[in-house]
Amino acid sequence: MVGKVEAVNGGVKPTTTPASTADLAPPATTRTTAFSFRALKLKTKQQELLIRVTILCLVYVLAFIARLFSVLRYESMIHEFDPYFNYRTTLYLTQKGFYEFWNWFDSESWYPLGRIIGGTLYPGLMVTAALIYWTLRFLRFAVHIREVCVLTAPFFASNTTLVAYFFGKELWDSGAGLVAAALIAICPGYISRSVAGSYDNEAVAIFALLLTFYLFVKAVNKGSLAWALASAFGYFYMVSAWGGYVFIINLIPLYVLVLLITGRYSMRLYVAYNCMYVLGMLLAMQIRFVGFQHVQSGEHMAAMGVFFLMQVFYFLDWVKYLLNDSKLFQAFLRITVTCAVGVGAVALGVGTASGYISPWTGRFYSLLDPTYAKDHIPIIASVSEHQPTAWSSFMFDFHILLFLFPAGLYFCFKRLSDATIFIVMYGLTSMYFAGVMVRLILVATPAVCLISAIAVSATIKNLTQLLRAKNKAAGPGKGATSAKASSKASLDQSLPFQRNGAIALLVGAFYLLSRYSTHCTWVTSEAYSSPSIVLAARGAYGNRVIFDDYREAYFWLRQNTPSDAKVMSWWDYGYQITAMGNRTVIVDNNTWNNTHIATVGRAMSSYEDEAYEIMRSLDVDYVLVVFGGVTGYSSDDINKFLWMVRIGGGVFPVIKEPDYLVNGEYRVDKGAAPKMLNCLM
Amino acid sequence: MAISSTPTLLHLLFLLILPSAILSSDPDSSAVSELLHLQSQSKSGLIHLSDHLLRRVLHPSSAPRPFSLLIFFDAPQLHDKTELRLKHLKSEFSLLATSFIQNNPSNPNIFFADIEFKESQSSFGLFGVQALPHIRLVGPEAKDPKSDSIQMDSNDFSNLAESMAQFVESKTGLTVGPIHRPPMLSKTQIGLLVLAFLISLPFLVKRVLSGETLLHDWRIWLSGAVSVYFFSVSGAMHNIIRKMPMFLADREDPSKLVFFYQGSGMQLGAEGFAVGFLYSIVGIMLAFVTHVLVRVRNVTVQRFVMVVVLLVSFWAVKKVVFLDNWKTGYGIHAYWPSRIYWEYDLYAFEDKDPSTSETNLR
Repeated sequence: MVGKVEAVNGGVKPTTTPASTADLAPPATTRTTAFSFRALKLKTKQQELLIRVTILCLVYVLAFIARLFSVLRYESMIHEFDPYFNYRTTLYLTQKGFYEFWNWFDSESWYPLGRIIGGTLYPGLMVTAALIYWTLRFLRFAVHIREVCVLTAPFFASNTTLVAYFFGKELWDSGAGLVAAALIAICPGYISRSVAGSYDNEAVAIFALLLTFYLFVKAVNKGSLAWALASAFGYFYMVSAWGGYVFIINLIPLYVLVLLITGRYSMRLYVAYNCMYVLGMLLAMQIRFVGFQHVQSGEHMAAMGVFFLMQVFYFLDWVKYLLNDSKLFQAFLRITVTCAVGVGAVALGVGTASGYISPWTGRFYSLLDPTYAKDHIPIIASVSEHQPTAWSSFMFDFHILLFLFPAGLYFCFKRLSDATIFIVMYGLTSMYFAGVMVRLILVATPAVCLISAIAVSATIKNLTQLLRAKNKAAGPGKGATSAKASSKASLDQSLPFQRNGAIALLVGAFYLLSRYSTHCTWVTSEAYSSPSIVLAARGAYGNRVIFDDYREAYFWLRQNTPSDAKVMSWWDYGYQITAMGNRTVIVDNNTWNNTHIATVGRAMSSYEDEAYEIMRSLDVDYVLVVFGGVTGYSSDDINKFLWMVRIGGGVFPVIKEPDYLVNGEYRVDKGAAPKMLNCLM
Repeated sequence: MAISSTPTLLHLLFLLILPSAILSSDPDSSAVSELLHLQSQSKSGLIHLSDHLLRRVLHPSSAPRPFSLLIFFDAPQLHDKTELRLKHLKSEFSLLATSFIQNNPSNPNIFFADIEFKESQSSFGLFGVQALPHIRLVGPEAKDPKSDSIQMDSNDFSNLAESMAQFVESKTGLTVGPIHRPPMLSKTQIGLLVLAFLISLPFLVKRVLSGETLLHDWRIWLSGAVSVYFFSVSGAMHNIIRKMPMFLADREDPSKLVFFYQGSGMQLGAEGFAVGFLYSIVGIMLAFVTHVLVRVRNVTVQRFVMVVVLLVSFWAVKKVVFLDNWKTGYGIHAYWPSRIYWEYDLYAFEDKDPSTSETNLR
């Protein structure tokens, strides 16, 4: 019952507030049937379609405008750190064309090494934005490329809601699809990465991720080559957009493996997986940054192993068809499976030993064994979004979806099918990863929304059916669908009580879901819309104070330093300096070269004369440090300093963390450690 | 003094003593040999000091000595005070000693010793030790035990044997080498486990093939799924990675325990589990209601349980929302046109992700 309480909301809303306003989740569930008793008899179907389409449109618009808070509260600009790099490359792409972009050698970053841009980035986002820009230009809309970049993320978030609808429909029914669309439209876990201006890979990647999953599940359900082909292209888009595609290429084989083990092997699965894997792999190799990793890196080997296992299964099926003797077949089965597994293991062993197959990378490994990063890779552990997640973050990003998730799991287990197995696996693996790293809450969000939507939809369906059964004394012709409804129907002696109970539950659920929308709106507008490059604070009298110091500093750099000056800063600011200040930087947010970053960390934490030597060797002209003491800005360089020490010390053991601490405490006032006071910082 | 039990040690001692013995009957050499003897007798390589022995070894006239001495001050009567962690530290200390001796067999430049409060109170006074845990390094040059020796900082033994080794290395210039920890399971235990697994394997395979194990029950998988969920949302991973304790003692009043930590991005163990339980309970109760309760024939019982479940779930949701608001300091509210809301809004000066705003660690 409890689940019911939360559940219902979406279903009730349409009757109470038919015109959804911007900040309320448009009434998702819409058991459209609730309307039917006052509808015209003939057109029920059409009416349902109309209502469904209307709701979807409203959700689509809602998902877009909810993400415009950042534009309203600040201005139309690019947020954060990485998006500035994306913006810069997109600008380059639209100005110089695709081939120039693909072969671009950027000498302004990673001085003196430089960076081959085309070969070291996922181009999906930039190409998408450029295509949108060119289309708009073609249609004679004179927009600036920055506006396109700013609005790319909300646009794709809107598209994600559509995919969520179809996915929910595929998993459960169209009601669940509508709820899922409404939930994901305003779920803070997703909004955090897709507000207007956060022009980052994740913005399009979540869309691509969900699309790939949806198309694959559809292909498995239908067994059709066309859907499998579509999912391969979805996968291609995902690979071109985000490094998180590794999640897909491991989750899908895992899912296929589970289906094989549970005896759910079918021709549909065979067609879907083989087509998707082979084509997806070939397409993914076209991305230069990914290259031949699909056949060479340990992270992708699971997919290949499952691919071969699939062939073995198919072969066995064929032999079984030819052989009539079941005993003979059993013996054959045993031998074949043993041989296949043995050959696979030997091949993997030989490949790894000969260096053909690269072992797992640190980032991948740190997901499986979370303590690994902390001990071995300080540069990963240092990033704030790589911290493990505390419970409050889950609450903040999911709110009542957290309560609904176990209920949804329960419903999925009650009605196990190929599709629900997939969503359960997706939900659980991504939930686990979300616990390891804060940023991976983003990947878990679609799964949580879908599973919760199933819970909401199923309970509301039962409740409203209960209500309707009372309205029409004869009861509806439809058989009760789920366990709950049937059980209710079976003990049908106390009608008034039940009806009142159902109404109470619906009201309670409505209340809870409205709390959810309130929460989401508040979080979106207050917490997730700040661009972090322009800071806002409340003054003592409740007035807003805007600090635009970052951009002022970068423009100062641009106007007052020689154009070939090299600027050293901590790596956070690298992209922004190149994009806005137009100056060469030593390190930036692309952290591929740990040694180089450590050199900068060493320079920052050495005595001034030593630091001077290091900086001369790097040809540095200016040093940029951020100090937030006056305004109380908490994430300045003093705060990050310990990480400079740790990362520097990871490569140059001369630097020792305890030298900068006083009795194990980090102090920056008069009582600070002498080394701390006398270093460059 | 130099009568040793093992021939290798004798040999070693001989080598050590030889140069000095030629010059004079040096007190140093006798001290070294005595310490070596004591060291060889103790299992872990720790030397148990007494007042008398300590005075002799650290006699001011003997400086500079050819060795340093790292002393662990111990008091068995305090071993049961868990917050001091004396027992644990002592075992780490002896681990350090064993590792050092194992890594540097022919290099007795440092000796590891422990000294006990009840036996040798005057030595405690000599060093001016007031509080435990206390580890002190007496260098070769030290004349006055109290002023010339170096106390190990509390953060130097916070990371156990490894950081103690770092301390030794930085202060004496010796290399300790890797710490040899005993494996978690001894070899015989591992062997037994493997054996048990191998024996049970055929039975397991048979059960799986016949399809009658627990693995074929979807309820098991459901509970597994829910526990994975519980594990994730309770922040257990956070606790493991950060090695958070279950609870803290209140700073102002040590008898009170703090279970809930205010400030997002951090949490204590018990806190996470409590909230994770609240998260899961609503869904679990739904399963219970729809799966078990409907089979109960008695309508009154059904209604009663139903009301209880409703109340509990209402309470759970309420509690979690309240705790979350308390912890993060956010006051979440709707935007009504007329409402003046900025009084809540003291936290606008945050980073993008509130969960990490406290320490933006980049």
